[in-house]
Amino acid sequence: MTVMERETTGLMERPHVEVIQERCAGCEECVVRCPAEALAIDPSNWVALADDSLCVGCRQCVRTCPFSAITVEGPVLVDPPLPHGHYRPTAVLGDTSETRLGFTSWDAAVAEAERCLSCPDPTCVRGCPAHNDIPAFVAAVARRDLASAHDIIRRTSVLPDICSRVCDQRVQCEGACTWSLAGGAPVAIGALERFICDNAEIPGVEPKGSAGEGLDVCVIGAGPAGMAAAWELMAAGAKVTLFDKDEEPLGVLRWGIPSYTLPDAVAWRPWHALEAAGAVLNAGSPVDPAQVDGLLERHDAVVLATGAPEPLVLRVPGAELDGVEDATSFLTRAKSALGAGESLDDVGPSSTVLVLGAGNTAMDVARSVLRLGGQAICIDWMNERFALVRPDELAEAREEGVEARFNRSLLEIKGEAGQVKEAVLVDPEQPEPGVQPRVLSSQTERIAVDRVVMAMGYRPDASLLAAELGGSLATRRFDLARVPDRSWLASGIMAAPSIGGRAGVGQLALGREQAYMASAWSPRARLWAVGDALCGPSTVVEAMAQGRRAAQAVIAAQPKRPGHRSGGMAGYRRVLVAYDSRGGNTRKAAETVAQRLGHRGPAVDVLPITSVGPDELASADLLVLGTWTDGMIVGGMAPAPSTVKWMTDLPRLAGKDVAVFCTYAVNAGRAPARLAAAMGSTGANVVADGSVSRWSVEQQAARFAGEVIDAVEKAGSPMAGYPASGSVGVAKAPSAAGAS
Amino acid sequence: MAVTLDVEQGEGAEPGRPAGVSSGLPVNPIATAVHLRPRRIEGAAEHFAATDPHLDVTARFPRLARLAKHRRFQFMLILPNQLIFWIVIFVGIMGATNPGRNFATAITWYIWFCLVFVLMVAVGRGWCAMCPFGGFGEWIQRRTFWRRTTKRLGLGWKLPESWAGHGLLISLGVFVGLTWIEEFFNIAGPGTPAATSIMVIGIVASALLVFMLFERRTFCRYICPLSSLIGTVGAMGSVAGFRTRDRQQCLSCPTKDCMRGGEEGYGCPWYTWPGSADSNLLCGICSECYKACPYDNVGLFVQKPLTSVVAPVRRRYDVAIAVLVLWGLVIFQQVNALNWYASLDGWLNRATGMAYPNPIDYIGIIALVAAATAGVVALIRVIGGGARRSTAPDAAGGSTVASKGGLRAWLMPVSYGLIPVVGADYLARQLPKFFKHAPRVVSAVAGPFGFHPGLYNTRLAGNGAIVAVQVGVMALGTVVALWTMWKTVGRDVLAGGLGTRPAVVRIAATGLVLACGIAAAVLYVAMHAAS
Repeated sequence: MTVMERETTGLMERPHVEVIQERCAGCEECVVRCPAEALAIDPSNWVALADDSLCVGCRQCVRTCPFSAITVEGPVLVDPPLPHGHYRPTAVLGDTSETRLGFTSWDAAVAEAERCLSCPDPTCVRGCPAHNDIPAFVAAVARRDLASAHDIIRRTSVLPDICSRVCDQRVQCEGACTWSLAGGAPVAIGALERFICDNAEIPGVEPKGSAGEGLDVCVIGAGPAGMAAAWELMAAGAKVTLFDKDEEPLGVLRWGIPSYTLPDAVAWRPWHALEAAGAVLNAGSPVDPAQVDGLLERHDAVVLATGAPEPLVLRVPGAELDGVEDATSFLTRAKSALGAGESLDDVGPSSTVLVLGAGNTAMDVARSVLRLGGQAICIDWMNERFALVRPDELAEAREEGVEARFNRSLLEIKGEAGQVKEAVLVDPEQPEPGVQPRVLSSQTERIAVDRVVMAMGYRPDASLLAAELGGSLATRRFDLARVPDRSWLASGIMAAPSIGGRAGVGQLALGREQAYMASAWSPRARLWAVGDALCGPSTVVEAMAQGRRAAQAVIAAQPKRPGHRSGGMAGYRRVLVAYDSRGGNTRKAAETVAQRLGHRGPAVDVLPITSVGPDELASADLLVLGTWTDGMIVGGMAPAPSTVKWMTDLPRLAGKDVAVFCTYAVNAGRAPARLAAAMGSTGANVVADGSVSRWSVEQQAARFAGEVIDAVEKAGSPMAGYPASGSVGVAKAPSAAGAS
Repeated sequence: MAVTLDVEQGEGAEPGRPAGVSSGLPVNPIATAVHLRPRRIEGAAEHFAATDPHLDVTARFPRLARLAKHRRFQFMLILPNQLIFWIVIFVGIMGATNPGRNFATAITWYIWFCLVFVLMVAVGRGWCAMCPFGGFGEWIQRRTFWRRTTKRLGLGWKLPESWAGHGLLISLGVFVGLTWIEEFFNIAGPGTPAATSIMVIGIVASALLVFMLFERRTFCRYICPLSSLIGTVGAMGSVAGFRTRDRQQCLSCPTKDCMRGGEEGYGCPWYTWPGSADSNLLCGICSECYKACPYDNVGLFVQKPLTSVVAPVRRRYDVAIAVLVLWGLVIFQQVNALNWYASLDGWLNRATGMAYPNPIDYIGIIALVAAATAGVVALIRVIGGGARRSTAPDAAGGSTVASKGGLRAWLMPVSYGLIPVVGADYLARQLPKFFKHAPRVVSAVAGPFGFHPGLYNTRLAGNGAIVAVQVGVMALGTVVALWTMWKTVGRDVLAGGLGTRPAVVRIAATGLVLACGIAAAVLYVAMHAAS
């Protein structure tokens, strides 16, 4: 019985909302986010009032109230989800048909879409790594407007047909659905997305303005991240050249995901569209670190999207035997054989394949083994409760006949005549998530196996990352808590319960957001990194979102290879004047500097440092940083402690032009030089440092702006011609007497 | 040229970025998908107009602003008291057994308790900003003395709504209970120094336990024995607390860092939002909101004295009850110095086998005074023509705070109007100890170092002078209360249409003030400066 039917028959128990008036501050955070309009402000007391008759029990108010002043008791009034199609092969041998299917009728899709609350602050959008406007496209489905629904998805995703099939929505959009956060069944967002993409006409690379015209960009890697970057760049009019180490593009989409999850026809669609739009692929062309400099000389920008192609291997006795291979190799062979309707010589009806790992890759391997006629046993040393595998993937695999054992680890592979014959297993224990399992018992188990496939996951190409990025994001992570988008805390997603004893969906989403924001950042001048290359093994949708974002950053930055950029101030498109002001003088100086620089052409933003985030930094060609001077003259002068603290959290400013100034009352001393040195140590090109007296702020700030302009014009080309670090002081602090 | 300055954050602005500023990247897709319902902004200005203070001392005095912005601000306020508090614990147990020569007794009961009352009358919750009990618990809970971290020690529970709904009443109960304990063990009168230490240890242990169990300053807001007293009497104070500079901006703020915590400051430990604070009742002056606000839209404001008594539109029933009970308690503390009370208490103790103060007369006198005062309010309601008209339903459900139907609609403004009398009475009650024994602090401090300045028996005033000052304080409090009663009854009862006979209501209500003031003054004369 649906909620509406229960309501009509009077059988429905309603939720009850209690606003603790003693603690309610009347801030309206609940009022503006209540999807059911069940809350309003009582103007006589300025506290929230709840109307139980409108409440649907989603508890968004509970999650968003800053003071925990609301409680909701009673049921979550959501209809049960509609089952969407699932193909369960009676005999899996040789069957490559897609197993997960979408909605097959408009009525079913519309009924599911109508379960959506259309939340005012949709947590599902934050949960989606691409930030698809989910309420909007779901609403379009509800009104049977397929074209609008598809347009909405395409605004933020270039691979929706693929993502709807391969995403783990449980820890993304559906895990963050309001119903899900309230303990109910989420809207089947993935199935609806798939329904749209299955029924809409899939477009090619459609031009979106001309902001990228004239740009020549090299994309290394033609997987999801590289294709998304190329798509976005080409849509903006840029010329794109792709390199891929394999003979064919698609990366993990081609070799890593079996056809029963992602049919080839769907997987190849985006590449065909790129090809049709004129993308040039240099296939079979691996790029080593030494070649990157050359690519940067020939192209305006390089996007590093090399993915995580290296399989993780377990170094145990017997790992060198014949019959031991990694998941990449096996999946490539299996997919090829199954696609051709053939079998593999080494996996037959009597073969038992031991798959190391019980994550999603391991399930792909094991299910492929079944389709090739063999038996598959997956082992994982983690506790099943904390396992990383998708629950539906695990259930499907077990249903098909995969034997998945948790709390098992491989001790040794025994062979005969150089060929795998037996695996020796032990039973580790993992009492808590995040704790490395430990082997406490000496008892072993021996099982006869014919092959061993190591499917514990993948990792990026370490040599390239070390050379170009100084390591992966994990080692370069800057603290986003210092430059956050605090609206995440207000949305309620961070109140999500943990999944399998690990992080909650909100924490997972915020972690993804960190990588998403970092993808706009160029760790080296004119070089961007995205996807697994940036943040380690992740998902297709994350790689796609980061690829798009990096492309947008390239377009915004308009990088030019040496000799192709206007010199002087004319070369700057965007200047950011960031200031740390205590009494208002530095702010006034920053505004004056901004006005003067703005007269020379570039767009100028003026922001306090607390409002400067990765986006602002990433898109600025020139950063002007102003702060106040701290300390006593006898003890030495230094930049404001708050500014110093802010700078310690900055990512590398490689290649970024920076000018710094300090405001002072009596004498700035060495504060500007210290500030310049600190900025220089981040890899920035310090074009000018100077000081501004608080007694003649406008006049001296204007002078400093002039010095910045002179320095830039003198050096010629922006972001070139300056030392890689250190400062070039063109403005010296005047003496106290002179300044006063 | 295109120069964009950081301007006010608007509702439509991209979250986390001031309106009008673009990074050059496409619009944040999350911001595109967020369609918050419109906030109710109309009516806010009118609702808070009477309670909004206008003198922002942090704007007027930049040095103070810098000080308050500093993370060590509250630490430096707490630190001296924290040191004294540990000395009290140590000296109370290890020091001289003569309470008059022991620093613990002398500083706690002859100085501190008087200063707290002066602070609350003048400043409001000024003491809370420097309180060593809450400060100690908070340091442990935050695992830092002053830094802004996200680490936390303790379970971080939320106080159950069934408790929180009673507002200050838990604190009131604890205060009444602790006062009984203090009388029973003769801790302050002057008792033994060790008893003072044990009481301090008991409070700090309780505070620490609550800080470990519950989030923020749940102890300070709901449980601290002084919270209800400082909250009510502190309404007379001139410090409005940290308030919004521009309410419009607060209402449309997308992040509410002052409530949830920002980069530089924690979310309000007292569960108070500067954007809707209409009195100094629940601002602990900790400056966290001031530090946390990314838009520099919070300031420390001062107000005209008594503004938080007369101006709030939203009167709280828990405050009204607290005023009545506190009034009963202070009257008990006056009555217990009289001979007839000693006879009554002795008789009851013999009959029940208990000791001073017998719980029956202790609770009985408090309840009798509070009930009698409430009875007078009921009478005023009847003769003022309010009984027939009072049909307003009690819409507050189980919440003590917001109940306002029937007699409660009269009790609230009348109780608020009585606050100056109650405050004056508490202040006057502390004066004998101060005038008689304050110089002993010098002896207590100097004694352990071998100095005996001869101040042990020095008094700052004789009994006659003390009584005169007490009566004077009561007279001042009564006069002030006449004005506050006139204002609160006039606005809430008469302008609110609750009474039909304005003259009768005003005369009766101010008559109640006079009666209370005179009764307390007469009791002080009868007590003859007993401490």
